[in-house]
Amino acid sequence: MKKVLAVAASVLALNVMATDVPVVGNVQMRCLITTDIAGVYGNPLPQKLSTAVADGGVLPVVRFDVTLADNYKAKITTPTSFSSSPVLNDTVTWTGSTAVKLTSDAGMSGYEAAKVVYDATTEYDLTVAGSTWFSADLSATNGYDKAFPGGVYNAILVAECIAK
Amino acid sequence: MFSSAGAHEMTPTYPKFEASFVPEVSKTQMRLFNRRSDVSYYEIGVFDSEWDPVPFVTSYKVMKMEYLDTAEFDIYIKQGDLERATYICSKSKLLKKDVTSTGVSSRICSKIK
Repeated sequence: MKKVLAVAASVLALNVMATDVPVVGNVQMRCLITTDIAGVYGNPLPQKLSTAVADGGVLPVVRFDVTLADNYKAKITTPTSFSSSPVLNDTVTWTGSTAVKLTSDAGMSGYEAAKVVYDATTEYDLTVAGSTWFSADLSATNGYDKAFPGGVYNAILVAECIAK
Repeated sequence: MFSSAGAHEMTPTYPKFEASFVPEVSKTQMRLFNRRSDVSYYEIGVFDSEWDPVPFVTSYKVMKMEYLDTAEFDIYIKQGDLERATYICSKSKLLKKDVTSTGVSSRICSKIK
């Protein structure tokens, strides 16, 4: 009887025993590229494709999250050719511009003024930790007033995060 | 509006190389996380400071990754090439069928210091 009581007491003791469960988090220095919105070309004129809202398009939006200040550069390159399209009937003129759309920190307000643009690439120095949203205004215009052939047109925007 | 939130992440930012089991070859381990539902393949590359390719060895230079998959992979570089190796990059590879109007290709580069 004593043994039974002792076992029962030990089982009860186990049931009420408190255990600390450690929860460990590790925030690594990193850069995350998120495609928030994949853009869509509008076709306001037969010879023009454009992501501008006024042209019926949707601007692509890419977000860069960095966990440590002044360790990364963001490079966004707008397309200069279609990744897939019908057979084209003329040369295409490409234009593209990238801009800061939104920031998570007031310290990022200088990003737009400090950006460096060369060829189809825009480079931003991510000097503040946090999130930055970039949008790209893209357009493709077919040869002089010549309509694009009917079909589906796709192009690729390249977003790069490069450690400094 | 077509919206597709998805992310591409590679760590560490500044990888450290150590001796491997092969003489005169160094190795480091990288970690890739695919949170892009529209991407299933990533290409790994090593470059010098002028963005010229540097020879390296890894299991797969183009890795197939499911959505929300994490992959750890080793990069092996010869000692002679390690001196000029500067960046280890992963680039999303978009399949033609997955691109709708304007697709976004993402590339993240870690720096060897």
